[in-house]
Amino acid sequence: MPAPFTPLLRVLALGLVLAAAPALGADGESAQLAEMQKKLDKSLAMIEALAKRVHELEARQTGASVAQAAPAPAATEAPRLEAVEQRVQQIETANAARRGDDTSLPIHGFADVGAGTANPFTNELKGAYVGNLDLYLTPKLGEHTLSLFELNFEVGTDGAVGVDLERAQVGYQFSDAATVWLGRFHTPFGYINTALHHGNWLSTAVRRPKFVQFEDQGGVLPAHTVGAWLTGSTHAGDGKLTYDLYAGNGQEIIGGVLDMRNAGTVHGNPMVGGRLGYKFAGALDGLTVGVHGFVDKVSDDQQPADLTRVRMLGAYAVYDTDTWEHIAEFYAFDNESLAGGTGTHRSEAGFVQLAYRLPRGAVYGRYERASLQQSDPYFAQMTSVDSGASYYRTAVGLRFDVDLKTALKLELANTHTTDRLVNDYNEAMVQYAIRF
Amino acid sequence: MRSASDAAPARLPGKARLALLLAALTLAAGAARAEDLYVICNSGVSLQAADVRDVFIGEKGFAGSVKLAPADNASAQAGFLARALKLDALKYSGIWTKKSFRDGANPPPVKASDAEAVAYVRQTPGGCSYVTTAPGAGVTVVAKL
Repeated sequence: MPAPFTPLLRVLALGLVLAAAPALGADGESAQLAEMQKKLDKSLAMIEALAKRVHELEARQTGASVAQAAPAPAATEAPRLEAVEQRVQQIETANAARRGDDTSLPIHGFADVGAGTANPFTNELKGAYVGNLDLYLTPKLGEHTLSLFELNFEVGTDGAVGVDLERAQVGYQFSDAATVWLGRFHTPFGYINTALHHGNWLSTAVRRPKFVQFEDQGGVLPAHTVGAWLTGSTHAGDGKLTYDLYAGNGQEIIGGVLDMRNAGTVHGNPMVGGRLGYKFAGALDGLTVGVHGFVDKVSDDQQPADLTRVRMLGAYAVYDTDTWEHIAEFYAFDNESLAGGTGTHRSEAGFVQLAYRLPRGAVYGRYERASLQQSDPYFAQMTSVDSGASYYRTAVGLRFDVDLKTALKLELANTHTTDRLVNDYNEAMVQYAIRF
Repeated sequence: MRSASDAAPARLPGKARLALLLAALTLAAGAARAEDLYVICNSGVSLQAADVRDVFIGEKGFAGSVKLAPADNASAQAGFLARALKLDALKYSGIWTKKSFRDGANPPPVKASDAEAVAYVRQTPGGCSYVTTAPGAGVTVVAKL
């Protein structure tokens, strides 16, 4: 008796052979059909032989089983299968209960190295350089409790390795509309200070605009604050309204560098600020616009000490899509000298960066300018890495994503310094940045 | 003299063979059709289908007063990313790297199978995930893709 599934196998084989065949063109139809027919015949013959063999084996096994009067396989297998099913279900339930990050503390980070005709932070140094090794931890403490700690190892212009506790913040999330953080955090102004901080892999460009660099690398803004920060977002229209309100230790200029006073201040003056943004949806999805500002009383380590009321107000815009990444930020300062009696001073700074995303990277161009009053003690006392000086810079660059976690970047830039020391210089630098 | 049964196997007429070929190709294409995807949440979660994207990229952390706890399902992730989030794995990973660095948020844990994902959602308040088979009772189907 032929095996009962032989006709089914024939149909299956026919279907497979036909499905595997490429679409037939009118010219080669007959030849290809003949070839297929041959293959089909061969397949059918093979299937028939196999079916016959299976039938023989089945018959032999049945005979042997009867001879040994063994119990029916179904009767012995059923309890075993039931036990296995139960065990699988237990494993799945146990796995489902695991939250992954609850049971371990993953360390993430970024690192970069580079070389160029100039160090990214000062054109006085040339050659190869070690950039940052940035490690951050996000231990999950509870349903509503958040925490974020970031350690950054960086090489200063003197070649020494320094370690900064970049962020140490513990927060409580009430809802999407309100999370409060306490500790040291990235001051929420503009876009790049919170979105593209340490971790050069995150940025399309090799480096931040000079005036928005970190405090010890040429920046004139308080990139970090120690205090409290309330942040959140809520739907408004089709888009989303985002806000940040913060208060922290008043900053001081020490050794020519703006310092966020990790341990507290002597004078007790607070810094307060905020940011308000709107994220568009629909046709303008990817566009965010906003305003930002802060007020601070900044002293320094001069004798006698200067005290300046710093008032900054500005605006920013970001257009971040699969094709474009455009960023623009503007800062206007209206500072008042409270101790030196030099009156009020107006300064401004801003940049526009336009980037076009490629399948594996991006090309970008950036123009940045800072016009900073040197009679304003706030800028005049920032002398580290020439941070308080006025300048303008034009840069073009390329980012190539070598793989998922590695980016190779190239930047060419021309910089004019326009007050303390009038100068003009060109830079070319390459950077290899990773995340892990 | 050779009988009919001795001859080569009878061949179908050309048009019939073409029709059969087309039928087979249609069947093959049908088999390749994308599977159904069910986005599911714990029965205590009230969520709109339009919120699914925000939940899985960390932009929406609460449904009312319930803290959401999304989980990825490795066995269905590629299809989910493409159809629900319009992202590939590279961009999804990049989004969570940035989100984690900026906001201290952790990416969703990853479950290995539909069964694990369903069990996770059933037993986790605020739990949400996605599966390729109808999930049965005990969870809420937020969207079918």
